Amino acid sequence: MATKILVAVKQVIALDEDFEIRADGKDVDADFFLRDLNEWDDFSLEEAVKIKEAGGEVEVVVVTVGPEEADESLRKCLAKGADRAVRIWDESMEGSDSQAIARVLAAAIKHEKPDLVFAGVQSSDHSFASTGIAVAGLLGWPHAAVVNQFDFSLGATQATIRRELEGGVLQMMNIDLPAVLSIQLGINTPRYASLRTIKQAAAKPIETLGLGDLSLNAAEVGEVGSASRVRRMYIPEKGRAQMIEGSLAEQAAKLAAIIKEFKGATV
Amino acid sequence: MARDPKHDILFEPIKIGPKTLRNRFYQVPHCIGAGSDRPGFQAAHRSVKAEGGWAGINTEYCSIHPESDDTHRLSARLWDDGDVHNLRAMCDEVHRHGALAGVELWYGGAHSPNMESRATPRGPSQYASEFETMTYCKEMDLNDIKQVQGYYVEAALRARDAGFDIVYVYGAHSYLPLQFLSPFYNKRTDQYGGSLENRARFWLETLDQVRRAVGKDCAIATRFAVDSLYGTSGIEAEVDGVQFAKLADPLVDVWDIDVGDIAEWGEDAGPSRFYLQGHQVPWTKFIKQVVKKPVLGVGRFTDPEKMVEIVTKGYADIIGAARPSIADPFLPKKIEEGRYDDIRVCIGCNVCISRWEIGGPPMICTQNATAGEEFRRGWHPEKFKKKGSQDSVLVIGAGPSGGECSRVLMERGYTVHLYDTAAKIGGHINQLAMLPGLGEWGYHRDYRETQITKLAKKNKECQVALGQKPMTAADALAYGADRIVIATGSSWNTDGTNCLSHDPIPGADASRDDQLTPEQVILGKKKIGKRVVIVNADTYFMAPSIAEKLAAAGHEVTLVTGVHLANYMHFTLEYPNMMRRLHELHVNVLEHEFCSKIEPGRMQAYNIWGDGSKRTYRGPGKPPRDENQSHHWIEFDSLILVTGRHSHDSLHRELHAKSGEWEKNGVKAVYLIGDAEAPRLIADATFSGHRLAREIEEANPQLPLPYKREVAKWGVAHVAGTSAAIEYKV
Ligand SMILES: Cc1cc2nc3c(=O)[nH]c(=O)nc-3n(C[C@H](O)[C@H](O)[C@H](O)COP(=O)(O)O)c2cc1C
Ligand code: SF4
Repeated sequence: MATKILVAVKQVIALDEDFEIRADGKDVDADFFLRDLNEWDDFSLEEAVKIKEAGGEVEVVVVTVGPEEADESLRKCLAKGADRAVRIWDESMEGSDSQAIARVLAAAIKHEKPDLVFAGVQSSDHSFASTGIAVAGLLGWPHAAVVNQFDFSLGATQATIRRELEGGVLQMMNIDLPAVLSIQLGINTPRYASLRTIKQAAAKPIETLGLGDLSLNAAEVGEVGSASRVRRMYIPEKGRAQMIEGSLAEQAAKLAAIIKEFKGATV
Repeated sequence: MARDPKHDILFEPIKIGPKTLRNRFYQVPHCIGAGSDRPGFQAAHRSVKAEGGWAGINTEYCSIHPESDDTHRLSARLWDDGDVHNLRAMCDEVHRHGALAGVELWYGGAHSPNMESRATPRGPSQYASEFETMTYCKEMDLNDIKQVQGYYVEAALRARDAGFDIVYVYGAHSYLPLQFLSPFYNKRTDQYGGSLENRARFWLETLDQVRRAVGKDCAIATRFAVDSLYGTSGIEAEVDGVQFAKLADPLVDVWDIDVGDIAEWGEDAGPSRFYLQGHQVPWTKFIKQVVKKPVLGVGRFTDPEKMVEIVTKGYADIIGAARPSIADPFLPKKIEEGRYDDIRVCIGCNVCISRWEIGGPPMICTQNATAGEEFRRGWHPEKFKKKGSQDSVLVIGAGPSGGECSRVLMERGYTVHLYDTAAKIGGHINQLAMLPGLGEWGYHRDYRETQITKLAKKNKECQVALGQKPMTAADALAYGADRIVIATGSSWNTDGTNCLSHDPIPGADASRDDQLTPEQVILGKKKIGKRVVIVNADTYFMAPSIAEKLAAAGHEVTLVTGVHLANYMHFTLEYPNMMRRLHELHVNVLEHEFCSKIEPGRMQAYNIWGDGSKRTYRGPGKPPRDENQSHHWIEFDSLILVTGRHSHDSLHRELHAKSGEWEKNGVKAVYLIGDAEAPRLIADATFSGHRLAREIEEANPQLPLPYKREVAKWGVAHVAGTSAAIEYKV
């Protein structure tokens, strides 16, 4: 039986220098949206495609939650070597936070039954860095975040991974499969699509799934199914910045003085 | 995007005599190779700048009479009604876009060799031109002075009739009015020589006469080099410079000031190798302090911040520009619209100037491939024809030609995949920009990098793949592109192959530790020893640049050159300071010497003229000259081979060998551009990529379309009403 790797991807919003906030103050005005595949997803897709290219029977399925515009990003994944693309959407999913998206993805994973799930560490627009791990939580699967090396042989029940921890510390560990891994930038060198694979991808179908296909109901997704709400989105006022120089001790002393001054204390 | 309010001051109109400049951007006089003989070229090149927002636009220097004939170099002329007719086209086109047209009335004295007219130039005193060296002028008597001033007046009237708004009396670059003013030329003892008042007399009288003739209709400008940069032998800014400005101020409507002379006019048109933006200010700033009329100054101004500083600090009222307007005719528009990162910044290479110096060919520009091509090829610098097909294009190589080709194809709406092994767009510019003084050449890369990145964001089907493995012919065929452009560049020969022998030099081998190509020197991976010998057969900048770099780093450098070292740098005006640099770094230059063979640690040099001046027929197999016996050995620790370049064309040849497989792979055509076709100037590589992108739908885009030629037509007289027939006066 083929090993199936599911890669959860997201079409993110990139912004140019000039943009405006929507009238309701809760998001950027959609007129300024530039859409693209999340940068991290290039790496998780590449990791999956590398496993496929190493030989053996492997199927790479990319899955996204999003409206029709997201097809463009899925086609990019198909052009770079994914075998199938699945887009899940229902109007009721509008306004989902990472928890609600994770719920949808977990349902899709139950539907697809992959042997391995890759997600990006975070998305470049919202940067919550929580979707992948929330999926694992909902599934009750083993998981590891911020993976920057992955060793695995087809059919094995365990994989060896290396994770990035705080402060430049690395952790090597074995993980039982199936598992959910969030993949870090730099784990590989993502490939570019050729014009030929782009043309081929344009002819491939994109499978679409809705609430019913995944046995979800509208109350589990969208704003109502979310654990968080956006109250206000705004451009922070520019603060003062200052480069603190000197030895570590000098830097610490200066920093302490600044904090004290900020709190209104006298030094 | 709107412009930054900080820059508003640059958009304030300013009155000059009877005319008003709509803003502070002003194209000072500069040659393009059009003159009065290529009126379409002249009109199109100048009016594209009017469209791009410049407020005042000038001709190049414009001769007032056949006595001032610069042939072989190409000036404009206002000698007769034929010239009036031709230059009127420029005025009309410039006016159509709301700008003022100016003309720089020029009399050269001994600096004009009069090779076409064969007339005798006149000057304040008799001297041999330090620029032309073989041309002497006749010393003017009082009658001559009246006559020549009359030439100015007649030319000014013709200028007004042609439609010019601004009429110059040109006294920069050591031309006639300055020859009277400067004691370097003027040795007279009458009322036109001696004291400053006397030396200024010719210029002041001429201004007065021109003003009386056309001053009601036209603004009167004068171009004045306020410091000859010779110390007390010439004009000094704070001495005669300000004094003359005070005297002449009532007679001019606008001052156009700069520095230097003609023999070393690279001190005015300063190359970026030696001079930064605004380099003339320490000399020119004094003028504004003593005059009431608006002042404009030059100094390769490309940065709006710097321009604002010039105006607000009171150095000048108007930003004069030659090269910045060539590299980006739309510079003012882009500043006005806040499109700062769309500005195509002049790199200061002076290749534009090289063509004038060579004497005649149309101007080219390294940054702007459309410069000089406006009329004859119909290329607009900012507007492009929409794509003519749905074909996708794979461009292999992101250097000057591949980058430019991709940019223009993307502007036209084509789906382009740009592919390179290097991690950065720019090809060999990335290396050149690391040579001493050439940092600003990196703007060539930066412009393309910025534009391509923007365009690829707009058209998601475009892709820029950098840091890739080298593409094979099989990869390229399988890539899925309809058309493939090979722009794989060139590199320096590793075996010493050169333009003198057309063969390798025995023993030359840059794979050895002690021999290097220029690229290897720049990359810095090979250790370079104390004693360096550079073997040179290239006439542009590479050998002197490498010599400068290594000598500055403490190596003992000997430069063995079989060709005129840095000859092309005469044309780019970099030569004088390059030579000063080599001199101060104690580089030992062996001229007329080349290399016959190389052994470990030593190279054999010979004098290229060492084979005897007598030519004798001695039968087959025997050379007609004597055996060269000038050979001698020079020891080195490291040897640098600056002998010649070769194209990286193997991918192209392999693809052509597989032409039978094109159709089944959907490949319609494969093209070769830039250095990969033949090594050349960056300007020409850029041009070749640009041209292919403009003409890619043509029947055979590999070869250029014919362009519109402007040539005299047999049977049609230049001056209406005169005869064009062959007529002997017998
Ligand atoms: C191609 C070229 C041709 C020039 N020809 C003339 C000319 O005919 N008359 C003149 O007064 N200056 C001429 N110049 C000098 C410029 O007017 C200007 O003084 C000089 O280039 C410095 O300005 P920039 O730094 O803006 O280029 C020429 C400059 C260039 C680049
Ligand atoms: S040729 Fe070079 S110096 Fe001249 S305008 Fe173009 S970029 Fe500037």
